[in-house]
Amino acid sequence: MGRGVLIVIPAYNEAETITSVIRELRQIAPEFDRVIVNDCSSDATGEVVTELGEKQLRLPCNLGYGQALQTGLKYALLRGYDIVVSMDADGQHRPEDVPRLVEALQDSGADMVIGSRFCNGSPYNTPLNRRLGQLLFSQLTRLLLGRRIYDTSSGFKALRAEVCQVIVSGTFMDFHIETIVQLSLSNFKIIEVPITVRERTFGHSMHSFASIFQYPLKTILLTIVAFMDAFLLRRVR
Amino acid sequence: MSIQGIVLIDLMALGLIFLILNLVRTKKLHVAYAVIWFLVVIGLMIIISVPPLLALLPKVVGAIFPASALSLLAFVFIFLVLIFFSVQLSAISARQVELAQALALKELLAQEEQAKPRSSIQG
Repeated sequence: MGRGVLIVIPAYNEAETITSVIRELRQIAPEFDRVIVNDCSSDATGEVVTELGEKQLRLPCNLGYGQALQTGLKYALLRGYDIVVSMDADGQHRPEDVPRLVEALQDSGADMVIGSRFCNGSPYNTPLNRRLGQLLFSQLTRLLLGRRIYDTSSGFKALRAEVCQVIVSGTFMDFHIETIVQLSLSNFKIIEVPITVRERTFGHSMHSFASIFQYPLKTILLTIVAFMDAFLLRRVR
Repeated sequence: MSIQGIVLIDLMALGLIFLILNLVRTKKLHVAYAVIWFLVVIGLMIIISVPPLLALLPKVVGAIFPASALSLLAFVFIFLVLIFFSVQLSAISARQVELAQALALKELLAQEEQAKPRSSIQG
């Protein structure tokens, strides 16, 4: 028997927004446990989380989003949680969508539910470069998996423990398209549920000018690796 | 190659060997990496000091001049060394990530263990 649902929130320099995210979660989804993964923030994120009395995984050095989330997943597995929900600490994800994602996971029998900003024509304003990147990756899933995943870079997901196990032992970067490809090819069921996101009110996006070039290249490379990995594993089996 | 050139290169190679040994002695270079550089310098000394070997080298790699053949070999070697170092660096990064994650997990798990008896006493 598992311990239910754990919400994992990776946070890097989110002192301005983390309080409202946690308070909203306490109000809207009090039945779910939470853990904040403080990715060695240089602002007061750690202190704010401690003051709020939340569980905190304090990384001694900045590992980046993917590895921070992976730390949260490791914690969930150690504590025996059945379901993990990952959400951002910047306040863009709506806490009221957390129960929806969990329900969708339980009702559909899926292994991973992606909170999608783009499926069913959900309106979401993103810069053109990210929109184009999203389109590229979305079409790439169609090419590799035979079906389109509309939002490959969503950080709002619900996952079963079995999926977490694969993720903590795999080569993943940001748990985006490379994870989706690997999991799909390993016969895990992935579905999308439409969500709406709020505009960022504090701080700035982690996407720098360099990441415009770096991110797609890294992601495509890892996606090819994930595809190769799944293909080779299938042949071994 | 002239005797003068061979002597000069061999002296430089001996200087490099001394540098490598000294780096190992002062613990600035790991012995595993020192072995690679040691073998390279010795190999270079042998190729330079034995004229038939130096003459054979361009024929083997399809170059016209021995210098071009040596440059090609040096390029291939440096390329391989860089890949090797990238692999080593990646392994170190992976270990660093694992250690950082383990530390964070251990800290929280210890906090939870500490909190357990207190809550049971209160309960």
